[in-house]
Amino acid sequence: MTKKIFAIIIAALICASFVFSASAYTQQYVIDYADKLSSSEIEELDSFAEKIEAAYGVTVLFCITEGTGDVTAAEFASGTYSDYTDNENGLIIVHDDWNKAYSVFTSGNADEYFSDAAIDSMTDAYDTDDSYYGGIYACYELAEEYLENGYSGGYVNDSEPLNNGTDTIGASEEKDGVSIIWLPVSLLIGLLVGFLIINSIASKNKSVHMQKNATVYTRPGSMVITGSADNFLYSNVEKKEKPKQQNKN
Amino acid sequence: MSTILEQKCPCCGGAVEFDSGVQKLKCPYCDTEFDITAMPEDTSNQVEQINWNSQGAQWGAGETDGISVYACNSCGGEIVADATTGATECPYCGNQVVMKGQFSGALRPDLVIPFKLDKKAAKEALKKHISTKKFVPKSFLEDNRLEEIKGVYVPHWLFTCDAVGNASYKAKKVRKWSDDNYDYTETSYFDIYRSGNIGFDNIPVDGSTKMPDDLMESVEPFDLSQAVDFNTAYLAGYLADKYDVTAEQSMPRANERIRQSIIDSFKETVKGYDEVENQGANMIVANGLYKYALYPVWLLNTKWNGENFTFAMNGQTGKFVGNIPTDKKAVTKASLLLGAGIGAAIYGLMWLLELL
Repeated sequence: MTKKIFAIIIAALICASFVFSASAYTQQYVIDYADKLSSSEIEELDSFAEKIEAAYGVTVLFCITEGTGDVTAAEFASGTYSDYTDNENGLIIVHDDWNKAYSVFTSGNADEYFSDAAIDSMTDAYDTDDSYYGGIYACYELAEEYLENGYSGGYVNDSEPLNNGTDTIGASEEKDGVSIIWLPVSLLIGLLVGFLIINSIASKNKSVHMQKNATVYTRPGSMVITGSADNFLYSNVEKKEKPKQQNKN
Repeated sequence: MSTILEQKCPCCGGAVEFDSGVQKLKCPYCDTEFDITAMPEDTSNQVEQINWNSQGAQWGAGETDGISVYACNSCGGEIVADATTGATECPYCGNQVVMKGQFSGALRPDLVIPFKLDKKAAKEALKKHISTKKFVPKSFLEDNRLEEIKGVYVPHWLFTCDAVGNASYKAKKVRKWSDDNYDYTETSYFDIYRSGNIGFDNIPVDGSTKMPDDLMESVEPFDLSQAVDFNTAYLAGYLADKYDVTAEQSMPRANERIRQSIIDSFKETVKGYDEVENQGANMIVANGLYKYALYPVWLLNTKWNGENFTFAMNGQTGKFVGNIPTDKKAVTKASLLLGAGIGAAIYGLMWLLELL
């Protein structure tokens, strides 16, 4: 009976992990052909873009490349967009870091939400920040604001409403998730902690051992320190450089 | 034949026993109680020496080494005991007898701590000890049987001394700070020295090879303030051994504990460091004295799966010790279940924090 319960619990946990893993799957929104971003930065930016997509139904991709190869910048942008998403509504901004040029491709209703002026303000925000990560993050912040306020072609602070007075575009609940990578890590930590706790309890079954010292038989007040010396020998200083954000220039 | 001593009831002649509840001798037949001091320890009418001549085959040379033969004063039965047995029970009539010669002259103990707790308390303590432990095999709880329970006066040597010693330590201090570009860690190393004196009173060392040393040290400490001058009357009703490890042979163990005490006690005076590690210690023992004492211990033997398990209870304080088998399968299962639960909880918490 215990074995069955144990098997059921383990099976349930495995199923739960699959459910979590399915829902935790994240699409790639930031494509870094130029290798300017760290994996953790990409993960954070992807998470941000995924949140935007979940809330407004619009996919916002950002690609950093060094050259577009044999194709034109426009072809490169549309090709990359279709390579990375099936969503009809979306936008991709491609930054050619080698030629210092931008190309933008919009699809579906993204045209309504991102005018040329809006896209300009997004690329300006990207340019203004010193780091690639900061630039893309600022770009996504603006994209979210445009989508949230439902403005097209104007600036964020304009008061004229879009879509005949509709305040927001997209009605879905904001969602987010934790990467599946954390599931085995969590389980591993859990198993380690569980093993330590249970073994600590089990070790109490052994109560026979030699005494380490005779401190309990010390005559009260009998300890007198007659000599004491604390001599400094030497010291080491270790210097570790702090991690820095990459500068795109 | 050697001589034995039985404490007889002056009223009915029955063999009296020491009652730990009232701390007096009590006759189990007529319930008369006697003060220990009222009972003469060794009188001629209580000591009987009987010589027997064997009619059968003779023991070969060396065969009787380590064996002592006594005759029971009550029934005349022959009691065969090993050379160190000091008090035992007649296998024929059940009378408690004390081998007088084992505790006379130079072998006489200086002190004895009388039993404060009885057999019933020891049995209850065993039940409690087992029931409070986790991951005990179910079959052990169901099948283990108490094979034997006996109250034993275990011979101990008590060492008193003033120790003069010194100890050296290596210590480490760690300091961390940062500026705009770097994190810095400074580790400073120190050589520490301490010397001084510590007095120790009555460090016990097990004087019997029959008793496992770790078991005897595990039931420590005993309260020596309740010890009394030795009187054979206290042994009535219990088993007792005379020492077979001499004081000289016990000294190294006492010295080992004293040395470690110096290291640990002096280390407590080394403060302000992140890590302190002992590098060595020296000591000289002065004014060393030792005493011979009998300590009360209840020994309980159980058997499970053909293996013997010995438990011990301090007959004075009730401290109970004894290793209990662990169900390894149960431990593995519990570790996996708890681990999976904690892991799932961590992951769930991460989700929750992310969603919030």
